[in-house]
Amino acid sequence: MFAIKKHIILAILFLTPLSSIFAQITVSPEGPISSIKEAVEQAAHGGHVIVKPGTYVEHDIIIDKKLTLQGTDQPTIDGNEEGFIMIITADSVTVSGFNIINTGRSYTKDFAAIMLEKANDFVIENNRLDNVFFGIYLAETERGVVQNNTIQAYDKREASSGNGIHLWNVKNPKISNNHVMGMRDGIYLEFVDDAEITGNISNDNNRYGLHYMFSDGGRYYDNVFRRNGAGVAVMYSDNVDMMNNLFEHNWGSSAYGLLLKDINHSKIEGNRFYRNTVGIYSEGSNHVHIHRNDFELNGWAVNIKSNSMRNRFTENNFIENSFDVRTDSPRNNNEFDGNYWSHYEGYDLEGNGIGDVPYRPVSLFSMIIERQPESLILLRSMFIRLLDTAERIMPVLTPKTLYDENPKMNRIS
Amino acid sequence: MIFRIFLTISAAVYLIILAGCEPKPQPINYGSDGCEYCRMTITEPGFGSQAVNNQGRAYKFDSVECMAAFDLTNENPENIHSKWVPNFLNRDEWVEANKAVYLQSENLRSPMGLSLSAYADRESAEEMRQEHGGEIIGYDQVKQIVEREWLSNGNIGQHTHH
Repeated sequence: MFAIKKHIILAILFLTPLSSIFAQITVSPEGPISSIKEAVEQAAHGGHVIVKPGTYVEHDIIIDKKLTLQGTDQPTIDGNEEGFIMIITADSVTVSGFNIINTGRSYTKDFAAIMLEKANDFVIENNRLDNVFFGIYLAETERGVVQNNTIQAYDKREASSGNGIHLWNVKNPKISNNHVMGMRDGIYLEFVDDAEITGNISNDNNRYGLHYMFSDGGRYYDNVFRRNGAGVAVMYSDNVDMMNNLFEHNWGSSAYGLLLKDINHSKIEGNRFYRNTVGIYSEGSNHVHIHRNDFELNGWAVNIKSNSMRNRFTENNFIENSFDVRTDSPRNNNEFDGNYWSHYEGYDLEGNGIGDVPYRPVSLFSMIIERQPESLILLRSMFIRLLDTAERIMPVLTPKTLYDENPKMNRIS
Repeated sequence: MIFRIFLTISAAVYLIILAGCEPKPQPINYGSDGCEYCRMTITEPGFGSQAVNNQGRAYKFDSVECMAAFDLTNENPENIHSKWVPNFLNRDEWVEANKAVYLQSENLRSPMGLSLSAYADRESAEEMRQEHGGEIIGYDQVKQIVEREWLSNGNIGQHTHH
C-alpha cells in the first residue's frame, strides 16, 4: 500500500518538471516558431510562452486558454494598424513585458491593444503600448490586475482617440502604477464595482484623466492627474473614496480638477487641487465629506450647485484661490466648518487658533459672475473689492447661512 | 428726404439680417464644450447633439439621450426652435431629431450608456441594424426610454446595468 503511494509521489515528482518543460514554448524571429499566434495555439493549458527580442507583426492574437505570455527584453508586437492586437477570452492569463504598437482604428469597433472579454483573474503588467486606439480594454471581467504599463497615443482629435484603460461591466479590478497619456480618457470606468485604482499617472489626455460612470464602491488614491483636457470626472456613482490624489493644471472653460455629478456617500480626503479653473465642481451630489484637502491657486476652489446637499467641508486649506466658493443660489444646504481660508481677515482674540468672526467664502462678486459671466473682467477692481467687503459685513445676495463658524487662523498641516 | 431714404434702407437691411438669423445648428467644439445636461465634455461626433433656441443659442449635449433628457425636463420648451442629432454614418450632417431614425444596439455604445445612435433615413438604420443588431425606433420612443431608464427612478444609470 505504502509502496504504491510512494510510486505515485515519485511519478508526480518526475512528471511535474517534465510537463512544465513541454509546456514552455519559445518564440523568436529566427524560429522554429516565429509567430506568437502559432505559439499560443500550440501551448498547453496553463503553459508558458516565452517571446525573444524582435518585432512580430501580428494582430488578433486570440488567447483562449490559461497561459503566461512573457516577453524577454521587451519584444515588440506591431499590429500594423489592423484590428485588435491581443484578445483574451480565458481565465488566469498573464501578459508581461511587451511593446505593443499600432492597433487598428474604427468608428464602430473599439480596437484595443489588449482586449479582455469575459476573462477573470488575469495579470497585464510591464507592457509599453504606443500609438494605440484603445489601450487595455476590460469587458465583463472579474478580479483582474493591470499594473506598471505605459500607454500612449498622439491623436489630438478626441473622436479618433480611445481610452487608455477602459473598463466596462467589471468587478473588483486593480489598476495600479500605470502611466497613461495622450488618450481620450486615461482611465475610464462604466458599470464597474469596487475598483481599486492607485499609483497611476494620467496626464495630457484629451478629455478626462480618470472618468467614473455608473460605478459604485471602491476607491482611487495616490494618483496624479495633470493637464488633462477637462480634469477628472466622477459621475452617477455612489460610495467612491478619493484619497491623496493630485489634481493639477486643468485649465479650460469646462475643465475641473474634479467634477462630481450625482455622487452620493463618498469621501474626498487628503487630495491636493492645484492650479485648476475649478478645484471641485459639484452638481447633484449629496453626503460627500470633503476633508483635509488643499485647494491652492485655483480660479475657483469649489463651485457647488444648490442641488448638492448635505455635503461637509472640514479642515481643508483654501490658499490664494481667485475665489473660494461659488454657488448659484442664496440658499445653502452644505456645511463648512473648521477650514483654513487664506482670504480670512478676522482676528483671534481668544488665541485658540480659531477666528472669532465667521468667514463667508462666497463673495458677492462670484454671485454676480454666476449671473453675468462677462463681468469677470472687473476682477481686482477697487469697486468690486468695496462691494465684497460690504457684502461680507451685511450679506444680502450671498447665502446667509453659508459660512465657516470656526475658520482656522493657520494652515492645517 | 435723405433721412427718409436712409431710414428705409436701414429698415430693409435690418429685415434682411433678421431673416438671415433663422436659428440653426452650431458647430460643437469637441473636447472643450461641455454637455448641458450631464456636464461631461463632448468628445464623440457620432453622438454629440444640440437644441437651438429662438435666439439662436445652442444647448449642446454629448449624446442623444442627454438631449432627450433635457427635452423632457425643460421648463421652457416653447423657446426651443429645433433639435438636432448627428447622422452616425456622416458625422458632419445634422438631422432634425424628430425626423431622424434611431438604432438602440448594445454593440454601438453611446457616451451615456443607452446605446442610441441616429440616422438620416430608415434604410441606413436598417443596414446598421443588420450588422450590429438592436432595435429601430423613433424620437418619441427615444424619449420614452430616457424617461423610463433615467427620469422615473430618479437616478441615471441604475437600470442600465447589464
